[in-house]
Amino acid sequence: MTLPGVGTDAPIRVRTPSALDLFMFSASAWLLHRIHYDTPFTTEHDGHPGLLIHGPLQGVYLVQTAESWLGNAARLSTITYRHLAPAYLGDSLECGGTVTGADADGIDLELWARKPDGTVTTSGTARFAQK
Amino acid sequence: MGVITEEARHWADREYPHFEMQVTTTDIARFAHATGETNPIHFDKDAAVAAGYADVVAPTLFTYVVRMHASALVPPDQLEPDGSPTADVPPLPTRRAMAGETAVVLGERVVAGDVIGVEKRLANMYEKEGRSGPLVFVEMEFTFTNQRGELVARENFTRIYR
Repeated sequence: MTLPGVGTDAPIRVRTPSALDLFMFSASAWLLHRIHYDTPFTTEHDGHPGLLIHGPLQGVYLVQTAESWLGNAARLSTITYRHLAPAYLGDSLECGGTVTGADADGIDLELWARKPDGTVTTSGTARFAQK
Repeated sequence: MGVITEEARHWADREYPHFEMQVTTTDIARFAHATGETNPIHFDKDAAVAAGYADVVAPTLFTYVVRMHASALVPPDQLEPDGSPTADVPPLPTRRAMAGETAVVLGERVVAGDVIGVEKRLANMYEKEGRSGPLVFVEMEFTFTNQRGELVARENFTRIYR
């Protein structure tokens, strides 16, 4: 399969993790930080409006946005991402991507997760190698 | 300026114990369900073998699970009130932590039965003056290898303290 060319957009995937999803992610990774499952601690002690959606879970969402689009045609070789704004339980994250570069060996992508109001919570760049 | 003391630099630059995780089909299924994966190669050995893998294959960023266990699988009295491992809290006056940049380079895939080892080291530590005071950047490098000594992933993760 030919990989998509420069300027092509991945289909947007909207991810709205539930409290159960957040807990499962914490449990599967043995990530004990209370801001992802303990609401009273998170709001009263840390002053957040609600439980935080893990940064690494958003990193996974970025990877999945590209993987579910590219299928078996390519494999992730590198990804770099940053968290720009907090995402809270209840937020819907529109996850998307654009091809920014292409050569014989693979493609470069810009990937992001953003709230419906346009606030980008996580953004990154990735390289997928043609298989 | 100058919140990174000799003590903090020495703390960050210490030797970190080697950690190994024997990866089971259960570990892989837990992470796959938690992240919404539905591809049977993450749950069913026959499907994984049909796709060319030796066994059930882990999702791409599974090494995160290995490095979290490496730092957080400690007795409860070695955890801070917020749940973070005490050993990960630097001796800095700037204690509020934020995740900064994550950079991952992928190598061999992880399959059930692999023993994934992780080596952790301080890659960089520096400070900048932020709008509301000093910011300290602590960049750790994690190198993941399998039981054959093949590189599985290298991750550079920067935490920002303010």
